Amino acid sequence: MAQHKVNYTQDGGLPVALTSIDKIVNWGRSNSLWAMTYGLACCGIEMMAAGASRYDFDRFGTIFRASPRQSDVMIVAGTLTKKHAEFIKRLYDQMTEPRWVISMGSCANTGGMFNTYATVQGVDRIIPVDLYLPGCAPRPETLQYGVMLLQKKIRANKASNAQKAKRLM
Amino acid sequence: MAQVKNRLTPFFENITFDRDDNELILNFGPQHPSAHGQLRLMLHLQQEQIVKAHPDVGYLHRGMEKMAENMIYNEFMPTTDRMDYIASSSNNYGFALAVEKLIGLEVPRRAKVIRMMLLEINRLMSHLFWLATTALDIGAMTVFLFAFREREYLMDIIEGYCGARLTHAAIRIGGVPLDIQDTFISQLRTFLNKLPQNIKDYEDLLDTNRIWLMRMEEVGTISTEMALSWGCTGPMLRASGVAWDIRKEEPYELYDEVEFNVPYSDKGDNFARYRIYMEEMRESAKILYQTIEMYEKCVKDGQTELMAHAPKYISAPKLDIMTQNYSLMQHFVLVTQGMRPPVGEVYVATESPKGELGFYINSQGGPYPYRLKLRAPSFWHTGILTDLLPGHYIPDVVSIIGTTNIVFGEVDR
Amino acid sequence: MRAYKPKDDVQAKAYYTDRYYVAPQVPKQDVASDEVFAADLEAIKAKFEVKDAYIQVGQMVVYINPHDIYGVLELMRDELEYTQLSEMSAIDWIAKSNQFEIFYQTLSMTKRKRIRVKYFIENGQAVDSVEKLFRSADWAEREMYDMFGIEANGHPFMKRILMPYDWQGHPLLKTYPLEGDEFAAWYEVDKIYGKEARDIIGPELRDTARVDRYDSERFARLGFEVPKGTEITGDEERHVESYQEEGGVFLVRKFDKESSKVIDDPQR
Repeated sequence: MAQHKVNYTQDGGLPVALTSIDKIVNWGRSNSLWAMTYGLACCGIEMMAAGASRYDFDRFGTIFRASPRQSDVMIVAGTLTKKHAEFIKRLYDQMTEPRWVISMGSCANTGGMFNTYATVQGVDRIIPVDLYLPGCAPRPETLQYGVMLLQKKIRANKASNAQKAKRLM
Repeated sequence: MAQVKNRLTPFFENITFDRDDNELILNFGPQHPSAHGQLRLMLHLQQEQIVKAHPDVGYLHRGMEKMAENMIYNEFMPTTDRMDYIASSSNNYGFALAVEKLIGLEVPRRAKVIRMMLLEINRLMSHLFWLATTALDIGAMTVFLFAFREREYLMDIIEGYCGARLTHAAIRIGGVPLDIQDTFISQLRTFLNKLPQNIKDYEDLLDTNRIWLMRMEEVGTISTEMALSWGCTGPMLRASGVAWDIRKEEPYELYDEVEFNVPYSDKGDNFARYRIYMEEMRESAKILYQTIEMYEKCVKDGQTELMAHAPKYISAPKLDIMTQNYSLMQHFVLVTQGMRPPVGEVYVATESPKGELGFYINSQGGPYPYRLKLRAPSFWHTGILTDLLPGHYIPDVVSIIGTTNIVFGEVDR
Repeated sequence: MRAYKPKDDVQAKAYYTDRYYVAPQVPKQDVASDEVFAADLEAIKAKFEVKDAYIQVGQMVVYINPHDIYGVLELMRDELEYTQLSEMSAIDWIAKSNQFEIFYQTLSMTKRKRIRVKYFIENGQAVDSVEKLFRSADWAEREMYDMFGIEANGHPFMKRILMPYDWQGHPLLKTYPLEGDEFAAWYEVDKIYGKEARDIIGPELRDTARVDRYDSERFARLGFEVPKGTEITGDEERHVESYQEEGGVFLVRKFDKESSKVIDDPQR
């Protein structure tokens, strides 16, 4: 993970008081998270396996939408290279708010085993990340668990404010 | 959160509207919903027909060849996994075979049988994945879900063997580190008994489907000269009329002891490649039955060695390391310093599910390779799109990319 | 004074080399031992100068002059039936003799033989493109240019293929560090956010053995995590992360461990 000087946790995840409107909106948002497929490398295969027959994703209300304009969460699965960094920033900007980012796998978290000239050392050098999933490649169950933790996080936040990404759950 | 100020300008320069000759440039960007990875195709279109195609790769270039010059041979093995990440053991095997030929090592028979089983299981996994994603791109989502279900069974077997579903590192230089588990053969038999019916299900869904035939037949025809000139190998070449399969022509492992056929066609279009993949799945099942018998014969004959005996290059078995002093010392040196192969170079090609996967290793006697070049079949199969796509329509692009079976870990390394 | 680290080969070195170690050689055989290779070599020798030829690991290696490469490959493709160029690339010998060694790996399917054609060029010299003979050389030569800086004369599109178009530096040279030079380190930050963001985003963390004092403390505090930046007081309560809130979520089934069934055989 990058050591930014940007403080992502300004209001830190301390418990906030939620109104019932917040609760209803968050319930709706968390249970219909439309994921943007950002399968770059091997973790993308595990993401597809998570969406396939055995570990079905559709039961969480998650559908894989390819367009950034129609998706809520971007699951960055795989190695981000410096040639590609520009495009992930572009696509992240095209996503409509509220939006979250799950960084799946070691390559997306920190650059992984590829300590080379062409790899971005962690996708959070470019875009703010909400959830980090370790593994190489993480099992589909890990991705499911991660999505459920993200759902829980969405339900815990106020619905009206813009999102601020956090470091540790 | 609010938009963070950045320097990226809108990408309108890729779309030109007012050209005299009505040509539109379409960017099939590095992220697109078909499952093949990061291909950027710039297509020049003349009213839906492509006049020029320019594939742009390199969006997954991770510098594996340079990594190899900085790592010892055994340390590089898991990195080869990430090349063709759908059938990882094939890449591991290619690298292990290249180093073994460089050293001049002979692998024990039991290890060879296990390696063949892993290779053919990987071939099945890769072909099932190919079928699933190609069908998904064309629109047949049912086949995607069914093929992934079969693939999960195979991944269970491999997970029971080496612990990982996708990136195995199950084959080492000198043999295999682990013997197969008790449930391997029974699970494999159950799977193989159901496989013919499953393949028949897919064919029933697809073979006579009018939409499938319209999308596949006469589309993406590769002539023999184009295939040979572009360095196509594997099913791409066999679909264009050349019956070249490295397992038959330059046999490695025990492929000269098993009987199997090599399907080939002379039409060269998408449909020919599709039929070849389906037939290859059946042939892999045949090979697997024979390797199960060979394994049981090995057990009966009492051949238990799994790693070659070459103390200068390969560590001893774990039991010896834990009990004998010299084995422990040698293992320590081999792990920290690395094995030093002789000075020389080698190029070894194996038949991976995608084509001819080659490893060129130039060693100068040190523990790190001086130059390692990975010859990936998908690199040239992506290059052939430059010559293949003009004349086709936009939907054909998707089906052609599907049947060429490109995986970007290989293309970009 | 700081230690002098020679910059002509910055790849990792073995930390111990035995001064008296003589490395064995992979055995080379004479070309005359194989009839097919001998006949092919005679055909090549009849028209071009062959500097050296031998058989190693079952494949023949032929050394020629750099300007002969188009003719040799044309001869091999048209008359000797070596119809496929499997691979071509370069090896960096700048530290040793200021030369590159280029190799072409060819395959004959009818004869089931492989020949490797090699030659040396000086640093800065360009090679002739064989793209008109084998289309696969189109991309292979682009990759060679990208990785080594060796240009090919007569190539239709001599641009970078694996690195971005505005990359500076040729990665596979021995003088290029594995982790990239300064241009590489800040490439994505400069491109997307500009140079001013270098301070905000911070340098890349390339040290694989880095241990952060607070990370290791906090990993030991599994179950007692706090958000980043808050003070650790020591009397936080234990908080086990569960994937769903205690009260359950409206209309979402709560997983109940007792009522679940473990299936032994997934292939049932």
